[in-house]
Amino acid sequence: MVFCGAVKWVPETTAYDEAFDRTTAPRQHYRALVSTLESFTLTEIDRRERLQKISLVDQGITFTVYGEKDGIERIFPFDFVPRIIPAREWERIEAGLIQRVTALNLFIADVYQDQKCLKDKIIPPELVLSRKEYKRELLRLTPPRQIYTHVVGTDIIRNDKGEYLILEDNCRTPSGVSYVMENRNLLHRVFPEFFTRYPVRPIRDYPRQLLDTLLWAAPRASESPVAVVLTPGIHNSAYFEHSFLAREMGVFLVEGRDLIVEDSYVYMRTTSGRQRVDVIYRRVDEDFLDPLTFRRDSLLGVPGLVNVYRQGNVAIANAPGSGVADDKAVYAYMPALIKYYLDQDPLLGQVSTYVGLRKDDFAYMRDNLARLVVKTTGDSGGYNMLMGPFASREEIEAYGAQMREAPGNYIAQPLIELSSHPTWVDGKFEPRRIDLRPFILYGETIRVLPGGLTRVALRPGSYVVNSSQGGGSKDTWVLAARA
Amino acid sequence: MLSRVADALYWMGRYLERSENITRLLLVTEDLSSETQGLAEPIAQSAWKDLLAILPTAQVGPPASAFAPMSQAYLQSFFLDPTNQYSVHYSLRRARDNARSVREALTVEVFLALNETFRALETHARRGVADPPSLRDALGTTHKGLFTIAGAIEHTFARDLGWLFLKLGESLERIYRAALVLRAKLPGLVTAEPRADVALYYTQWRTLLRALGSLENYRRSYGARLEPELVVPFLLFDRHSPRSLRYGTEAVKGYLERIAGGGESMPAGRLIGRLHADLLYQDDRLSASGADAVFLDRVVDTVAQAHDAITAQYFVA
Repeated sequence: MVFCGAVKWVPETTAYDEAFDRTTAPRQHYRALVSTLESFTLTEIDRRERLQKISLVDQGITFTVYGEKDGIERIFPFDFVPRIIPAREWERIEAGLIQRVTALNLFIADVYQDQKCLKDKIIPPELVLSRKEYKRELLRLTPPRQIYTHVVGTDIIRNDKGEYLILEDNCRTPSGVSYVMENRNLLHRVFPEFFTRYPVRPIRDYPRQLLDTLLWAAPRASESPVAVVLTPGIHNSAYFEHSFLAREMGVFLVEGRDLIVEDSYVYMRTTSGRQRVDVIYRRVDEDFLDPLTFRRDSLLGVPGLVNVYRQGNVAIANAPGSGVADDKAVYAYMPALIKYYLDQDPLLGQVSTYVGLRKDDFAYMRDNLARLVVKTTGDSGGYNMLMGPFASREEIEAYGAQMREAPGNYIAQPLIELSSHPTWVDGKFEPRRIDLRPFILYGETIRVLPGGLTRVALRPGSYVVNSSQGGGSKDTWVLAARA
Repeated sequence: MLSRVADALYWMGRYLERSENITRLLLVTEDLSSETQGLAEPIAQSAWKDLLAILPTAQVGPPASAFAPMSQAYLQSFFLDPTNQYSVHYSLRRARDNARSVREALTVEVFLALNETFRALETHARRGVADPPSLRDALGTTHKGLFTIAGAIEHTFARDLGWLFLKLGESLERIYRAALVLRAKLPGLVTAEPRADVALYYTQWRTLLRALGSLENYRRSYGARLEPELVVPFLLFDRHSPRSLRYGTEAVKGYLERIAGGGESMPAGRLIGRLHADLLYQDDRLSASGADAVFLDRVVDTVAQAHDAITAQYFVA
């Protein structure tokens, strides 16, 4: 397969390639894109790519990397070759996500109400009750309209057979949706030619839908409820997204110090006095939400907030305590939980998982570290994980020792060959591994944004797509069914 | 003040505003067009057709290649074609011609900003920038240049009679263009049903707000909800949004009064005064069905008559 007259396409041997089949011919839904790309010269592509980089810096679309001095601001590398998902495949993903989010909510509600799933031994009680994400303080507390996870970002990968598998649920404060929209804008600007031959479903409506979702949860729905976005502030890695969403929704972006609790209501301080707040879209970790209930040392939170929430005078999205459902160990039980609550088989598969809490599983993990991907149950963002197949012996031994101290904090999965996708690297199209994070809104109905964040591991051979670990992203096209 | 100088400043104001309007319309329409071309081509096509109704112009050339997006030919024609009377190139040149003829009445900063912006645009035209991303980029740069000119006027101009004529031209042009945009777009939009494709439906309302430079201000007032019952009155009657018809009319009225210096009310002042009163008190009657083409036609006619009256009174000796 020759690209642009100059660049050879080397297909991956092991992974499922999104754009090319085993015979290296473009898959049907990539044909128009490939032929459009072939109409460009290399110089032209190069020029367009420079344009795109300038645009990212000019617009201040950046994120902060922790662990580097002073939290350096970086642009989130954008790869211009879009990832295309045909209508049929998307229908299945969408149905699977709606099913999963429904079950996740029922699970959280159950954990904080009657704990039937624990009594029925669907999931080991200690696995749920010992987690720091399980908030005893919130027991028997029902959020408005019984919705806990208003916004979910679920990570999906494709194995070597091309099957979509759920890798992780993010039920607390999933981020990345601003990049979904900015990536689309950017691609429109830099390669408008790509769009002329595809019915790409629009995504710009997301902020409106998000606002609908938030207001649906408002305790005083009949009047005109006020929603705000609560951010930890400018130093947070996702601050760009917080301000983006507030602006796009036309609501205030507030920090903890802008809010006060009085007489069982939450107010924000404004120049014209106090204004009542009905819905808080919190992008603050729940441990920092309210120093009176959770972490005492939190300066980001609002003292007394949980009390107002308890009285039903404010909605918090996502509800505090939701983190109990996106735990990496709970993940292992999701198929059983879907069956239990919905009496359905999961529509989307997931990766088989060893749970450190189970003795047999842990023994297997200990003996097969070099073959497994091991994660701690608390962390996200690719921090503190072991990629067994790529680790040195010393690394594996050190990690194993660390594991033995608290086996219950670890889970392990076999290494999945993430699907690969042509990506423009140093003047060539090369296959790079990708994943997908769709965003699901739970309001009056459950809606899935037709698109998502496709993250790409830019280092050759790498499986780690996180932005904090050298990943980039792509525009993600969901195609409309042709009438 | 010399009639000739007042005339030139008035037209400089009008052409600067027109340049900004066309630039914005092109950027916004291009966005909509590339968003919808593959998905719902008729929407993209009708957006460009609306543009032809707002900026009545000659032929637009054929697309450059089979891969070229629909927008390319329109961008070429309305941005860089010096012979198209509604191109940015044409309008900005006229603004500059007027500025040059009364350079002594301007501050150095204003003239330099205008001159630089025009020169940059001319360079693009000469180089024959053709591909959409470069056209877009150049449009973006021109848009920034126009804001620089506006900033220079705001910061350096004495608020004297000359400034009043310049601002009068600017505000009059602004209401005129806004009324034309509304007249072209509202009838189709208010009859459209959101059922078919909700996302596309709202995309078009969002585009209308952007086309009139009002999306961010609208969001500050009403949030992300794009209900026609809110959007239309906002564009017509909002008190604070600098691009609502009401705000613009109020501005024109104010400039005319200050130019008249508290003397008796002049024909243009009376025309605009009546329109302003309608905009103040009609919002109940018009609101949702503000798409009322008759009313928008009246706005367009009134502005045209006011322009004639201003010309007769101040510019023609």
